[in-house]
Amino acid sequence: MADSANAQASRHLTIAAILASGLLAAPAALAVPSYARQTGMACEACHTVFPELTHFGRVFKANGYVLSNLKRVRDVSGKKEQLLDLAQFPPLSIMVMISYADMKKTVPDLSNAGAPGVAQNGTAGFPQQLSLFYAGEIAPHFGAQFQLTYSNSSGTIGIDNSDLRFADMALLPDNGILTYGLSLNNNPTVEDLWNSTPAWGFPYAASNATVSPLATTAINGPFAQSVAGLTGYIFWNESLYLEAGGYRSAKQGSTNELTGGAGPLDGTSDNVLQGLAPYWRAAYEYNWDRHSLEVGVYGFDVKVYPGAASGTPLTGPTNEFNDVAEDFQYEFIGDEHIFSVAGTHIHESMTLDASVATGASANRSDSLTTNELHATYYYRRRIGGTLAYFSTTGSTDTGLYPATPTGAAGVVTSANGSPDTRGWIAEVNYLPWLNVKVSAQYTWYSRFNGAGSNYDGVGRNASDNNTMFLLLWFAY
Amino acid sequence: MRNVNLRQAIARQPTRLLRTVLSLAVVAALATAVWADEPDADARAYAKKVAIGTCGTCHGRDGNSTQPKFPRLAGQRPTYLVTQLKGFRAQTRGDPDAISYMWGMASQLDDTTMETLAAYYATQAAQVSPGGDAALVARGREIYEHGVAAQGVPACSACHGADAHGQQDFPRLAGQHAQYALKQLASFQSSMRNVAVMHGVAQNLHRDDMQAVAAYLEAQP
Repeated sequence: MADSANAQASRHLTIAAILASGLLAAPAALAVPSYARQTGMACEACHTVFPELTHFGRVFKANGYVLSNLKRVRDVSGKKEQLLDLAQFPPLSIMVMISYADMKKTVPDLSNAGAPGVAQNGTAGFPQQLSLFYAGEIAPHFGAQFQLTYSNSSGTIGIDNSDLRFADMALLPDNGILTYGLSLNNNPTVEDLWNSTPAWGFPYAASNATVSPLATTAINGPFAQSVAGLTGYIFWNESLYLEAGGYRSAKQGSTNELTGGAGPLDGTSDNVLQGLAPYWRAAYEYNWDRHSLEVGVYGFDVKVYPGAASGTPLTGPTNEFNDVAEDFQYEFIGDEHIFSVAGTHIHESMTLDASVATGASANRSDSLTTNELHATYYYRRRIGGTLAYFSTTGSTDTGLYPATPTGAAGVVTSANGSPDTRGWIAEVNYLPWLNVKVSAQYTWYSRFNGAGSNYDGVGRNASDNNTMFLLLWFAY
Repeated sequence: MRNVNLRQAIARQPTRLLRTVLSLAVVAALATAVWADEPDADARAYAKKVAIGTCGTCHGRDGNSTQPKFPRLAGQRPTYLVTQLKGFRAQTRGDPDAISYMWGMASQLDDTTMETLAAYYATQAAQVSPGGDAALVARGREIYEHGVAAQGVPACSACHGADAHGQQDFPRLAGQHAQYALKQLASFQSSMRNVAVMHGVAQNLHRDDMQAVAAYLEAQP
């Protein structure tokens, strides 16, 4: 009985759950020593402390990850045409995250729901994540950061954040420069250059053995690795950055019953994008002395067929998520002291024609707003920490953020239909070497899925989801 | 150029007459060499693109870097730049930022590219920095022009020129970031940047004197 109630709840939760999946999947951040081998430059050229980028790191990325100081293997034709230009070593790296996560109050044991059983608290992740990178140049003007990740939550290896780039530059009058390029990637904002936007924003690593809130905006991870996007960008004088492009569904592990192949997608797939979802970005960065300041805007407008999520075909009404966001990042990079602060404000307007029709949402129109702000300090790139504030607030929708069904366990529900969640993250880090980080992170929730206390209607408080997360994170 | 090493050797001869005579001979030889080996337009265009598009990210597109971690190269003497680039390539210049950044960046540069890069920066106009603390600059000027006799520190101007624009193989220092100049003096003192002459100059220089000299240099046009 309790099991079926939870199953029913999970069916209703599908839209919210897909939108929360970005939080459930711990962000797999960038820290790739193959770039150091390729450029011959130390981590500090591109990173304050990984994965946060410096101005040089941003320019390296905008130029397609191709700057190389390795010996070459070449082939040229009799007409001096360049046929091949390979570095002598492939830009491969490995990254490992080993973790331990402990919640303030563990969650009910669903195998024993209805009885007082609880799940074991304190989850060891060995590894939580293990990634293999191809990160560096492929050919002149053509580079990639491809990431394959084994995750302990899936127990399998799958594609992670990936970005394939073509880039070149043109000299302008008065020593000006115009960098331009194309990015083919699988997560909106993974192509971005700053650590204020979702894909490379804080937290850079988080537990995958804890509870995540119901709501997150469409640009904040839900479509990571299930879309393919092509964007074009210019970076004028390494200051003004403009980018535009679109994304289309690129499902992993989904097959068409008739063809037996990866497509065409049909109603057996969840949350398939209608057509092309536009993505846009504008930012300006100003550098002076040891300071760097960026302000920008970005957005994503995606129309989604719920498909299998609500048993509907990939025709007819869609759910639209229109995200418009602002962001900023400030960095001070001294030899001893490094300080940065970054934040973003994302506003999402939802038009839920598909979900209203199936009862999966109560309202046709909802909104959701996310604020994130983090400040980081490091001493000599060796010891430091980050303090972050996060909040998500939005329309009350008892369909989108459903209450706990009678007899069910709660925890991932909202008694009042509100998505409101807010809290703090504090993290301390020690780096014995620049490619090895030891972290202790604590997440406090003052509000979770709509309330501070008894948010699920069956007695769980927001603070019960507070999580201590210990992490050994290294890359080679 | 083939004559650089000879020219360097000559520049360090103590005898003024010998130095003058040989320098004239070398200048003539160098002029011939430049005429014969002058990089073609393609090489210069390539160097300009590298300087603006790659080096410029740190050093400024015209060599006037805004970040004090990275030295200003505009108006720098080309022979000095080539010597440094070769030192990075050979991994013989060992101050921390040289190791972290320039050993890699210079590792695959050929001599022609080094020379054309150096020529690009030598022809860029050096921007004037705003002056720092007046008392500190005045103290720095005293040391620059007269040295610190009690500590056996010679006058900087003897080699780097009265206007700090450098001469022969001695680098231009005028307008350099004070923070960069200070770090170099400390690196000479500790021999992380292993230059015997400058180690001799800096070995007895006190930290506050280094700061004063660095402030003076940054303020020079």
